[in-house]
Amino acid sequence: MAGGMGGADLSGSGGGKRKPLDTQINLVPFIDLMAVTISFLIMTAVWTQIGRLQVSNSGGPSDSQDTENEKTVPLTLLIGDKDLRLTAGTSSFDPIPVVRDSKGHIDLTKLEMRIKEVRGQLPDQVAITLQTEDSVPYDDLVRIIDQCIGSGLPNVSVAAAMG
Amino acid sequence: MAIQVPGKRFGKRLQRSRVFGKGGVGGKRPVNADLLITPLVDMFVIIVLFLIANFSATGEVLMMSKQIRLPEAVNVREIEMVPVVMVSNEQVLVSGTVIGRVDELSREDYLNIPALEEKLRDMKKQYEQLHALANDESGTFKGDVNIQADRDVHFKIIKRVMYTCTTAGYNNINFATMTAASTRGEQAPGKGRL
Repeated sequence: MAGGMGGADLSGSGGGKRKPLDTQINLVPFIDLMAVTISFLIMTAVWTQIGRLQVSNSGGPSDSQDTENEKTVPLTLLIGDKDLRLTAGTSSFDPIPVVRDSKGHIDLTKLEMRIKEVRGQLPDQVAITLQTEDSVPYDDLVRIIDQCIGSGLPNVSVAAAMG
Repeated sequence: MAIQVPGKRFGKRLQRSRVFGKGGVGGKRPVNADLLITPLVDMFVIIVLFLIANFSATGEVLMMSKQIRLPEAVNVREIEMVPVVMVSNEQVLVSGTVIGRVDELSREDYLNIPALEEKLRDMKKQYEQLHALANDESGTFKGDVNIQADRDVHFKIIKRVMYTCTTAGYNNINFATMTAASTRGEQAPGKGRL
């Protein structure tokens, strides 16, 4: 194998002995290290990816930190069993009927369009209050919060629906 | 039956085998076989890279239970190590302590859950005492709490839990969710952010 890399003879000119240029890397410690690393990573791996959605309880202390902004309006979404009603200030939109897909998940395409419409008129709007009825499943609430955050309304407050 | 030399004796079919049958047709082949290290090292490198990419320094924050199926969300932040209120379809728990049964809590009309409030106040007091003893000024109480609830639990229970958390001083409420892949291929805004 000496001089195997293109047959180049790079050995020094002096001296009679030619030392082979090829050196073999000792792979055994490398494989040992790999095996230990893999064992450690598999043992400490967290396979479930869990995240969090931060919300504030409407009426709680966090509300007092909000500053009055003339370019925003109180945006409220009433979440019921059968429909979603969005209200921006004094104007209210048509109710969005609750439609579910084959898996039973709530379809939020219309709500997304409605929020985008509001955000187009009020670009500084970042807060929304979700007034939720008691019978609404937690899954629906989380999906709506997720949709609101994804649509550019990161300050989500959750409140109970009146009446 | 003829006397044979002790050792391995293969069947008729294997006697013709080049591997087991002492060469079979040809002469003796060398017994030593080189192990191919290159694909082994390649595989190790790929596995290590995959595991490092999925490595979570936060560790297992929530205790996953079969009774609690978390809802999925895309625009999530990284979960933190704060007190967890677990709400299944049957009971409400804090740090493994059963606070109450869901069917009983559903029947009550008032908002507060006294047992939960007491437990959370104890935890808050314990936290503050520990940090005061350690003279840890940076570790001030922030009031973070994680709610780990089943997807089928009604808002009536969640509302009571949220109200109680706020009453006990835990104002920053976080809903624990499973991180779902974005269908639109967008990067979640808060992902990877502390």
